[in-house]
Amino acid sequence: MINKLQCGLILLGLAILTHTSISQTTPPEGIRVNTPTVHALTNARIVPSPGKVIEKGTLVIRDGVIVGVGAGVAVPADARVWDMKGQTIYPGLIDSYSDYGLPKAPKPEPESEQQQRPRPTAEPQRGADYWNTMVVPQNSAAELFSVDAKEAEKLRAQGITSALIVPQRGIIKGKSAVVNLGDGKPNDLLVREGVAHHIQLADEYGHDGYPGSLMGVIAMIRQALYDAEWYGKAQEAYSSNKSLERPEMNEALAALREVLGGKIPVVIETRDELECLRAEAIAKEFGLKLMLRGSGREYRRLDAINTLHRSIILPVNFPETPVVDSPPEALQYSLEDLRHWDEAPENPARMQSAEMQFSLTSATLKDASTFLGAVRKCVARGLRADAALAALTTTPAKMFGVNDRLGSLEVGKAANFIVTSGELFNEKTLIRESWIDGKRYAIKPLPELDPRGIWNITIAGRDNRDSLILRLKAEPELLQGTFRKGKQVNLRTVSRTGLHLAFSFPGDSVGYEGVVRMSAALGENTMNGTGEWASGEVFAWSGVRIGAYVPDPDTTKPKPPEMSSFAPVYPLGEFGRTRIPEQPATIFVRNATLWTSGPQGTMENCDLLIEKGKIVRVGKNLAAPSDAVVIDGTNKHVTPGIIDAHSHMAASGSVNEAGQTISAETRIGDIIDCNEINIYRALAGGLTTSHILHGSANPIGGQAQLIKLRWGMLPDEMKFEGAPPTIKFALGENVKQSNWGERFATRYPQTRMGVEQIMRDEFQAALDYEKAWQKWEKEKTGIPPRRDLELETILEILRAKRFVHCHSYVQSEILMLMRVAEDFGFRIRVFQHILEGYKVADVMAKHGAGASSFSDWWAYKLEVYDAIPYNGALMHEQGVLVSFNSDSDELTRRMNWEAAKAVKYGGVTEVEALKFVTINPAKQLMVDNRVGSLEPGKDADFVVWSGSPLSTYSLCEQTWIEGRKFFDRDEDSKMNGEIQKQRAVLIQKVLAAKKADGEAQKKKPEKKGDEFDHHGNETIGGIEQ
Amino acid sequence: MKRRTSLSCPLSLIPHHFVVSRHWSFVMSALLACAHSAIASNQIPAKPQEKPIAIVNATIHTVSGPTIEKGMIIFDKGKIIAVGTNAAVPSGAEVIDATGKHVYPGLMSADTYIGLTEIGAVRASNDRIETGRINPNVRAEVAVNPESELIPVARANGITTMVTAPDGGLIAGTSAVMMLDGWTWEEMTLKAPAALVVAWPFMSVQQSSLKSIEDQKKEREKQLNELANAFRDARAYMIAKMAEEQKGIPYHKIDKRWEAMIPVLQRKTPVVVSAFDMQQIEAAVAWSVQENVRLIIHGGYDAWRVADLLKKYNIPVLAGGIHRLPYRRFDRYDEPFVLPKKLLDAGIRFAIVSGEEAAHERNLPYQAAQAAAYGLPKDEALKAITLYPARIFGVDDRIGSLEVGKDATLIITTGDPLEIVCNVEMEFIQGRKIDLSSKHTQLYEKYREKYRRSKP
Repeated sequence: MINKLQCGLILLGLAILTHTSISQTTPPEGIRVNTPTVHALTNARIVPSPGKVIEKGTLVIRDGVIVGVGAGVAVPADARVWDMKGQTIYPGLIDSYSDYGLPKAPKPEPESEQQQRPRPTAEPQRGADYWNTMVVPQNSAAELFSVDAKEAEKLRAQGITSALIVPQRGIIKGKSAVVNLGDGKPNDLLVREGVAHHIQLADEYGHDGYPGSLMGVIAMIRQALYDAEWYGKAQEAYSSNKSLERPEMNEALAALREVLGGKIPVVIETRDELECLRAEAIAKEFGLKLMLRGSGREYRRLDAINTLHRSIILPVNFPETPVVDSPPEALQYSLEDLRHWDEAPENPARMQSAEMQFSLTSATLKDASTFLGAVRKCVARGLRADAALAALTTTPAKMFGVNDRLGSLEVGKAANFIVTSGELFNEKTLIRESWIDGKRYAIKPLPELDPRGIWNITIAGRDNRDSLILRLKAEPELLQGTFRKGKQVNLRTVSRTGLHLAFSFPGDSVGYEGVVRMSAALGENTMNGTGEWASGEVFAWSGVRIGAYVPDPDTTKPKPPEMSSFAPVYPLGEFGRTRIPEQPATIFVRNATLWTSGPQGTMENCDLLIEKGKIVRVGKNLAAPSDAVVIDGTNKHVTPGIIDAHSHMAASGSVNEAGQTISAETRIGDIIDCNEINIYRALAGGLTTSHILHGSANPIGGQAQLIKLRWGMLPDEMKFEGAPPTIKFALGENVKQSNWGERFATRYPQTRMGVEQIMRDEFQAALDYEKAWQKWEKEKTGIPPRRDLELETILEILRAKRFVHCHSYVQSEILMLMRVAEDFGFRIRVFQHILEGYKVADVMAKHGAGASSFSDWWAYKLEVYDAIPYNGALMHEQGVLVSFNSDSDELTRRMNWEAAKAVKYGGVTEVEALKFVTINPAKQLMVDNRVGSLEPGKDADFVVWSGSPLSTYSLCEQTWIEGRKFFDRDEDSKMNGEIQKQRAVLIQKVLAAKKADGEAQKKKPEKKGDEFDHHGNETIGGIEQ
Repeated sequence: MKRRTSLSCPLSLIPHHFVVSRHWSFVMSALLACAHSAIASNQIPAKPQEKPIAIVNATIHTVSGPTIEKGMIIFDKGKIIAVGTNAAVPSGAEVIDATGKHVYPGLMSADTYIGLTEIGAVRASNDRIETGRINPNVRAEVAVNPESELIPVARANGITTMVTAPDGGLIAGTSAVMMLDGWTWEEMTLKAPAALVVAWPFMSVQQSSLKSIEDQKKEREKQLNELANAFRDARAYMIAKMAEEQKGIPYHKIDKRWEAMIPVLQRKTPVVVSAFDMQQIEAAVAWSVQENVRLIIHGGYDAWRVADLLKKYNIPVLAGGIHRLPYRRFDRYDEPFVLPKKLLDAGIRFAIVSGEEAAHERNLPYQAAQAAAYGLPKDEALKAITLYPARIFGVDDRIGSLEVGKDATLIITTGDPLEIVCNVEMEFIQGRKIDLSSKHTQLYEKYREKYRRSKP
């Protein structure tokens, strides 16, 4: 009897599950399924869209579509009725960024492992696609999509019914689609294809070729977009005149054309707040309709990102709880780390306050089953519940162009909704079921029968003098209970499967023997079953409900969440400031020893007058304006801000694009990292201007970027306005890969002979490129030339619009490059490192090349074995413009000492020696009209030293840029105190949070093991939290 | 095996077919480039001191005692025989009038690998790292190349003594105190072994690593066990060998590794342990107490955080390098600069080491100066590269200060050697007058000549 009933229930369940709207074109398998698809969900609290509530409403759906929703909606006579008393219905949630049902991205490989395998040879290209296999816009999620039942079930448990699915491979990755998370055929589940194109700015998937750097990634994206533009024009020209040279066929470029001019949106995936700005630059250049896949770090630069006015798809992947249990462990966490832990959960709330448009996604979570918990955490941390709901329903529906079908509960829209036990963002609320296209998926459904309550038990054939009372409580799915016979004992086990109940209790505690085991068929108010005594003897019994279930009152008071502890600083964490230092209208430096590095030389007891960030007067006994900020320079030395002509700091990702021999298309300017702490540390050594160069892996490397060290400002704001563009070249061992290991013995060139030839070949190609364009501009006929970012850059060099800084060591190659340049009619502006410059200094002087040298490095490789510290002095004597550089984030903090080495080795005067790190590099970089010396009209970039800048006992006390004090040793001390204080506060906060987590877990012994988050010590985002 | 032999041979011994073979051409180019200038430096080692030398009218910085204005220092047969203002100059002495000049003890680099390398990127010129992880038996001094061009360059800036140390693995070998002058490594050696060199395993797990936390912990455990076992095995070996004297105890075969560690276990030779962060230093100290060995901490970035512990066990620190970036984002920019000052204030013995490439060791005095700019008293900064390392390595009876009876290892300078603009004008190692020219000065002169000739 019982078994039959059970079977029936299971069959009923199966029937519901297998009833699918099979795609119309698919032939049926076996018997056709024609279960009616009319449902009415009654007595529910309905939230049809964010901010709206129907307290007691009915939702009617027919054939997967909503046909009625509201308080007075009639139940159709043919409808199957579901009583949803006490339950709440929400629109189904949309995951705005998912890899559901798609081939997964390859995992990054540790570099050590990469080194161990041979370099892959290029796979033969299949199909008429883009030359670089990282550009695959022809990929389409709609085509790649397959149903993953297990994953879908996991996402549905989070309330998600639809997702934007995004192809995972490549940099330009292809088109996304919106799919429903039901089971069935992709044909039925695909809601909309071709939603957007997707691009990631990532260079970290361990492929071994081009691009191998963030700047290379950006350059390739730009080139591909220009190629797409060209492709359209070329094909049009050809289609109107088939006698022209046939342009290549390219499926990738044909697909990518769609994004130009904003025909379909482009989502660019970002990994931090700065990448939002980088994405915007690309979007602006090509008129893209940009959306951003955020990183969760937007709050660090909220204002800047807000001004972009782009929709953001926001992950809720919060940092793991730091491990700070012991002092040494805590040392691993910077204040930036701790503050990120403290503030990241408020990212969505802050974006909401700023009225930014965003949706939420499970993307980047290690485990999608922590998604809803993470969203609930956002709500606890200030995100309004209706805003959270909007970010999961109406907003993504609108962003992805499916708001006519999804996102809210309205007549005519798809029957995608979820049923919950209460407020969606309350941590105790259960997702009971989810409905997709009118099809029901049970998650934790209300049982059809609730056995909880008080039951009077009668055991057949026994003396029932003692009343036997069975109490069932806790959750209907996870019962607990007691049995009373005079005394009350806890049930040992209790389980319910459908309408079958089984339990056991220690009989010896209430006068029976051993453990007594009983089971029964459940009814609304009765139960009938059998049991077994310890002896093995079987008995019949029955129960009658005598009391309803009254839950224990919830005594736990909801604690208001602790909000983040500290005000924003820029950049976040160490040595950030609430705002950039102010610029006093007038500054007066009094009575200092001024090293002007200009015609006035070095003067003692001298004054310096600054107005609005510019030097106005330099001289003795000047009058201090009454409103001036006065710096007492007594016993102090003041120099121009130090300039480093060769640095690689403040760059995101690799500064080498080693994937190709020539990488002129890459731009350091695309990857300036204003959060780099070494910027601040360099300021503390008096550095104000730095030339950030591409690395030396390529004969012709990427475009460099001159920056001022305006710590706290944004990447673009750090760039030295109007500085003439420069580019990095390199010669010798690095470019011929001499010291790269045995895996690198095939790329051209492998000799200095080859280096010369590749230079000449490239310059010639640039001239030919120019000719092609000139012809086109004149005639406008034929196939238009393709815009080539690499050759365009080379052409700028030949036309003296961009200036070469060439890494070089030995005299042969130095001479070679000057001769090549002369043959092509241009000059090498500066040789970098140039450690054998002293051997050909006369030729360099004649050519007009400057030298930016290491002061005294040598012997780290064969080509620098003849390097000598007298190099700078010898070149200087021969009339070469000489500077000393660092090429090191550490050395760049004490460039004044490097200058002193020109005095030591070769007897350069102290005044001239300081110029090696002030006016000389300024001249080399062609910004000496702005910086490099203390002269009227120039930027007020200066350093206050405790003594002579050439003394090793002196230290930098203040560093000013344009009349703003960006470093002050006293302020540094105060900031340090604040940092230590904030770290201490946050470490205690972490410990308290961990304690609370631990106690919360202890209180829930009934929790099933498999519902825990196993990924860390914490369960942030865990639905059970 | 043959190949290796031929590669390390002088050029003339290389079989002809190697020279013409394309395959070997890259090797040849490297060798050729070295051969014309590199293999031997042009500086000739100094003659032994033939007669007494008196440096007069100089400012004598004794380091161990007060500085003497207008002072004199006299040395004979390599030893200092007088320091003061009016000692009698022996008859026949060479008198050097050093008016306006300064005399200092020679500077001591307490951690370098000069002599074990020539050109960083040329593998054939590197002898610093033996393969394997437990190499207590390898000895730095036997591989020191007296012809290295790095030696004249370093000593031209006042560095007269160095501790040359091997590297790599967990136990790298033993270091040696060497003088920067001599025809052979034997002549250069002042004390060997100086110390056993140990690299402490990395203790903290990196959350950001691609390796899992568990894997990192396992790796750490493995290395710690390996290190601990080496010392326990060595001790077992020592006990077994010592027991051989007793009746009935059989002979135990020689184990080169454990044999080399006996002086360490007997506390005759100290152990220099590279330990950087707090966890490493705490662990290394605990281990040294347990193993009863004489510990010297090398690196010691966090040493000030565990000052009480170091002080309690009187463990000295080779602090360095001073010229490095702060390790942690929240460290102040000058954190590496102020380490020596913090150690001084905490009463911990220390010396300053550079952590530089061997070729750049000449800049060691400026690391001391950096510490002085950020609070270390100047005289302490000087001691940190003279007397203090001499004490730590037990050679302060010979060098480190200007005192009667010590080696006449000293420099005459234009000023404070911790200032870059100062130059070393004369140098003596054990009374021998050192040639201060180097590959650098020679190339300088060569190309000055080029430009002199090209002048109209």
